[in-house]
Amino acid sequence: MNTVLSALLLILAPLLPLLLAFPALRSRLPRPCHIALLPALILLTVPPGVSIDLPWLLLGTGLGIDDGAGRLLLAMSVLIWALAASLLHTAKGQPADDRLTTCFLLTLAGNLGAILATDLVGFFTFSVLMGYGFYALLVAGGDEGARRAARVYLVFLILADLALFEALLIAAATAKDLGFESVRQAMAQSASPGLYLSMVLAGFALKAGVWPLHVWLLPAFRSSRPAVALLLGAVPVAIALLGLVRWLPLGEVSLPALGLVIQAMGVAAMLYAILAGAKRASLTRLPAYAAIFITGLFTTVLGMGLSDPEVWNRQGNLACFLIVSLGFGVAILVAANGWLQARCQYSALPEKQADDSSPWFERWSVAVTRWAAQMGTDTLPRLRAAWLANVDRCLRRIRIWQRTLDGSERFLQRWAYAVTLFLLLGIVVVFVGALSWI
Amino acid sequence: MSDIHWPVIVILLPLAGGVACFLWPRRSVLLGLLTALGVVACVAGLGWQVVEQGAQRYAVGGWGAPLGIDLYADGLSLLMLTVTAVVGLGISVYSSGYFERARYGQDRARHFWPVWMFLWTALNALFLSADIFNLYVTLELLGLAAVVLVALAGGADAVSGAMRYLLVSLLGSLFYLLGVALLYHSFGSVDIAILAERVEPSPAVWAAMGLMIAGLLLKTALFPLHFWLPSAHASAPAPVSALLSALVVKASFYILLRLWLEIFPFANAALAQLLGLLGAAAVFWGGFQALRQTRLKMLIAYSTVAQLGYLFLAFPLASITGWTGALYMLLSHAAAKTAMFMAAGNTLYFGGHDRIADLDRAVQRMPLTMTAFALAGISIMGLPPSGGFIAKWLLLEAAIRSGQWWWGGVLILGGLLSAAWVFKVVGYAFTRSEAPHEARAVPATMEWTALLMAVLAILLGLFAPWLLALLEIGSPFNRENAG
Amino acid sequence: MNWDAALPLLVLASSLLPGLVIFFLTEERVATRTTLNLAGAVLKLMLVGVMIWGVFHGAHYETRLPLLPGLDLLLRADSLSMLFVVLSSILWLVTTVYAVGYLEGSPNRSRFFGFFSLCVTATVGVALAGNLITFVLFYELLTLATYPLIVHRGTDEARRAGRTYLVYTIAGGTLLLVGTVWLYTLSGTLEFTARGFLSGLDATHHWSLVVIFVLLVAGLGVKAALIPLHGWLPQAMVAPAPVSALLHAVAVVKAGAFGIVRVVYDVYGMQFSASLGVTLPLAIVAAATIIYGSMRALFQDDLKRRLAFSTVSQVAYIVLGIAIAGPIAAVGGLVHLVHQGVMKITLFFCAGNLAETLGIHKVSEMNGVGRRMPWTMTAFTVGVFGMIGVPPLAGFISKWYLGLGALDVGQGWVIFILAGSSLLNAAYFLPILYAAWFKAPAGTWPAERSFGRRETAWALLAPPLVTAFLTLALGLLASAPFGLLQWARFITRLEYAP
Repeated sequence: MNTVLSALLLILAPLLPLLLAFPALRSRLPRPCHIALLPALILLTVPPGVSIDLPWLLLGTGLGIDDGAGRLLLAMSVLIWALAASLLHTAKGQPADDRLTTCFLLTLAGNLGAILATDLVGFFTFSVLMGYGFYALLVAGGDEGARRAARVYLVFLILADLALFEALLIAAATAKDLGFESVRQAMAQSASPGLYLSMVLAGFALKAGVWPLHVWLLPAFRSSRPAVALLLGAVPVAIALLGLVRWLPLGEVSLPALGLVIQAMGVAAMLYAILAGAKRASLTRLPAYAAIFITGLFTTVLGMGLSDPEVWNRQGNLACFLIVSLGFGVAILVAANGWLQARCQYSALPEKQADDSSPWFERWSVAVTRWAAQMGTDTLPRLRAAWLANVDRCLRRIRIWQRTLDGSERFLQRWAYAVTLFLLLGIVVVFVGALSWI
Repeated sequence: MSDIHWPVIVILLPLAGGVACFLWPRRSVLLGLLTALGVVACVAGLGWQVVEQGAQRYAVGGWGAPLGIDLYADGLSLLMLTVTAVVGLGISVYSSGYFERARYGQDRARHFWPVWMFLWTALNALFLSADIFNLYVTLELLGLAAVVLVALAGGADAVSGAMRYLLVSLLGSLFYLLGVALLYHSFGSVDIAILAERVEPSPAVWAAMGLMIAGLLLKTALFPLHFWLPSAHASAPAPVSALLSALVVKASFYILLRLWLEIFPFANAALAQLLGLLGAAAVFWGGFQALRQTRLKMLIAYSTVAQLGYLFLAFPLASITGWTGALYMLLSHAAAKTAMFMAAGNTLYFGGHDRIADLDRAVQRMPLTMTAFALAGISIMGLPPSGGFIAKWLLLEAAIRSGQWWWGGVLILGGLLSAAWVFKVVGYAFTRSEAPHEARAVPATMEWTALLMAVLAILLGLFAPWLLALLEIGSPFNRENAG
Repeated sequence: MNWDAALPLLVLASSLLPGLVIFFLTEERVATRTTLNLAGAVLKLMLVGVMIWGVFHGAHYETRLPLLPGLDLLLRADSLSMLFVVLSSILWLVTTVYAVGYLEGSPNRSRFFGFFSLCVTATVGVALAGNLITFVLFYELLTLATYPLIVHRGTDEARRAGRTYLVYTIAGGTLLLVGTVWLYTLSGTLEFTARGFLSGLDATHHWSLVVIFVLLVAGLGVKAALIPLHGWLPQAMVAPAPVSALLHAVAVVKAGAFGIVRVVYDVYGMQFSASLGVTLPLAIVAAATIIYGSMRALFQDDLKRRLAFSTVSQVAYIVLGIAIAGPIAAVGGLVHLVHQGVMKITLFFCAGNLAETLGIHKVSEMNGVGRRMPWTMTAFTVGVFGMIGVPPLAGFISKWYLGLGALDVGQGWVIFILAGSSLLNAAYFLPILYAAWFKAPAGTWPAERSFGRRETAWALLAPPLVTAFLTLALGLLASAPFGLLQWARFITRLEYAP
């Protein structure tokens, strides 16, 4: 009975928010966003270590909750989501926006699913859902700055998903099944895990906004509405970091060189966060720099784990605590920020406009597109003209042919009898000629 | 039943019908239709006999071959008779509508029926003749009847077309007759079977062969001897055009085929290649000219020139597959071209003109006619499922098997050309025309006959095995294995 | 004729006969026509259901009519043909409902629905063809039945598109015919056999076989819109939306792709074509088509044109899956045959809804349309994410197996093609979604029609929702027993198992 119940809860945790995402299904419910969290909340109370297999779903997947990282993360998520749900519609006295609620619930489903997933495909699917949902949340709830941030986030998201898809394929080609444990082992024994590792690292680094890919984080924190800003740490960043923990063969392989590079990057990120945070000290920016700092810390730990499996096996739990603290920390900072703003009529420093310029790759892509278009408009007409001239020449030749044909047809018509006689005689002569030749 | 003299009846029945039509002009439509039905039944009877008992040789009046007149029916002639019967029935039904209320008035109808019956007689006799002199006689009769029918339309166009046709026809027959005379002089017989045994290559034979083939090519309108065909076919009344394109030109081809297979099997490959080359030229020439035409009937007439070219592609291929392909082409072309001329006749009847550019107003109000034209077009293009497709398949197969793939190329390009002109016309069915205009209601029989003939052309694609099995009976192809 | 032999014929007749009857109905008899159409579609679906049941239990449904001496008109239900038959009969039903709604009140409907039924008949014939000549026959019939649908509107543009279509397809059909005849002269049989019937031929013929392969694939590639033979497809989008839907998802394009599958599997045989060395060039052509189609789609402002170029790119996935020459990739190609159909038909339905309800034809007019037509745009969104290959939708499954299969046979470059294509797909589809959902509407729509409280007529709304749901279900339940994936594996096992 208990197993049935927990299995039901496992399925309901991501499914209920998905269902409630349909406006028609939630229109009569009070506080749908909170109700959507209920199964996950109850799930926290069941004894740990439950899981179910869903072999018919997708490529065969499953859901489960382990006693370590998963439980902790789930608890954190439930808390922060509940908080965000309360804030969702209250900000600035805006009326409840249906689209916003839908995006919120979709993202929630993706988030919970990703935490509960027991294999790579499930995790990937839910994190994609979460990613696009969060993008929509950013766009739907924010101003122009948030939109710009969202655009960058979307591009990173697509690139990240591509990289992770490749990693998935490699994993599927190497491992027997796609459960986290078996992939970890298969990758540890694989002869060339390099491509897999780099794809996973690149993919999740893009998703998490690890320095120097943090460009979207700053404007997102600044300009999205409080409920969304609250989620920034706990949703895209935390899940991406969780992905790193789950997907990498940590504690199995020893790659000192790669580990060192990653550690260096982590240290650099922390330094950047401290320096930039100190330079542009303002309360509004604090959560962003805190997030970058903790991510850097996490990266350093990860690098250590990659270079020496022993360290990871002893200290690996630290990573999960880091993730949880990231989520909580950012949330608390944002909340405090908001509270202070409301309390003291705290006015933010005038923003520098430099940050509002469109992101670099958009400028680039616009330039490239313009260049390509120009190439097209410059060279194509020339090619086209040359081609048309060719066609013209062909047509003229065809017309000459046609005229010849018409002329000869008319000739045949006019001199019918003469031609006939001539031809008939010709044919007979040919025969007789052939005969005499024989 | 087996001892009924079907061959004689098949010839005499249309003759009797023609005489009856001539004697009772007021009843000519009824008499003509009855005769047509009767002929179909008789051909069926003959067919049954041939299928049951194999090829039939029948001595008229009991006199034997060297002296008397022999009739001979094998699978090939049976096939030709069947086509004639079916197409003839269709044309008769169509004409009953066309001439009945046509602007030509009763007068023309009175002339049409007897002549058409005589022409049918000549055709049947031609396909059953067992000697080359009889072939000449029937050919001459056929030509004269056809000329009369062309002139029936009245008007300067028709008369000049008819005159030209008459002269060409006579000239062709004359050449053929000269050949016959030469052969008779050398071998003392005109019977095909006897000649087949006796003929050996000699100067006289070569000359005879040249004369006969030249004459027949002229009558079959092979490029570049086709110049008389478009004007004659286009200026005639619609059922007559159908008749000429579907049957009359095929008759001379039939003679050519018989001669080639049975009397001149020694004809050398160079001559076959020459015929094939002319055929290819006809395919392209006819196709291009069809594309250039601005009047529907002229277009269809030029397409006949092209389609006749296909028939001659079988000569260089010289295999059973090739011959059956050509014959199947003949068959499906007969049905399809009949349907096409009927459809053109309908539009002409309806709108009073057959300018292609102004067709849209007419065809949109005659979906049946348009369907008939399109279905016939499918067969002419050689797209499946249709008789034309089967024919094309067989010819292509023969071309590739014999290693002369370029003849296949001719077929393919010719098909594309005809697709171009078919869709040029069919495209008008889908334009939006604004201006309605004066129109005359077309009798339902005319529309339905056109459609049925077109459907027949399509159905030919699904029943090929039975018809091809018919050809096996006493097949000249098996015996000689062709050239 | 017993039941087993009659069933394939009945499946054909269930759309042929209503079609023929509809031709003779007058314009006003809407109810009769709709009833006939729907009855035919439902009946076909039921017959196909019976057929699947039978095929699954090992029955042989085979109709054999003599066509030429030594050649039969052969209709046969095997596992591969069932894949296509099921796709076309389900989508036909959906499209019929949609077309009834779409064409309400427009002229020449009897003509339209008549040819519509003929078109489906030809498609099912292509699917059920048991030998190459039957295939050619229905393939050409499809060309002829589709032409009137493309030029249905009768405008100059439509006629031009129709002409282009004919030039391409008739030329293609001719190549196919030549290849078929040539093949027949070499092999003496044309009957589809698992693993092909040509490998026994003498080695001296191998060059001819390569040339024939090129002829056949070129002939089929015209309909499958492989570059450089794709020119007709973007033009053909002037046709009414249900026709575009049918053209892109079920009938024409799919017939070409399906034909290539047939030629590679059942005429040449996978092993043999790999040993002839023709699969790699085919894969390269397919890959080039994938990238080229996506690149062109990027710059189209006309919505249907953008979708058309997307089809060019997506259909090449099927060919790619076959040409990679591995069992797993083949599964990917085969399921994509169905997946692409379901997804693309959703997108075209939605595009048709936008055009019919609001008069929107261009991407640049779509700002904020998500608020006006939320259901339509939801379906559109699902279709778009499916096309990009986002899990858990159908497109993901296809890409998954294609990529995995490519890795399996050591052709890693394919992965990058897939990634590049996904990226481009995202680049030309996501801006549409952004504009539709998040941009502010322009104020007035180009030509709005009111449907009361609903966003549009139910006959226009239900079909895209159904197909969007199918897109989701095909992805989510991919591994379910009796699922599509199972069926595709079954087919490839026939071809690859030792």
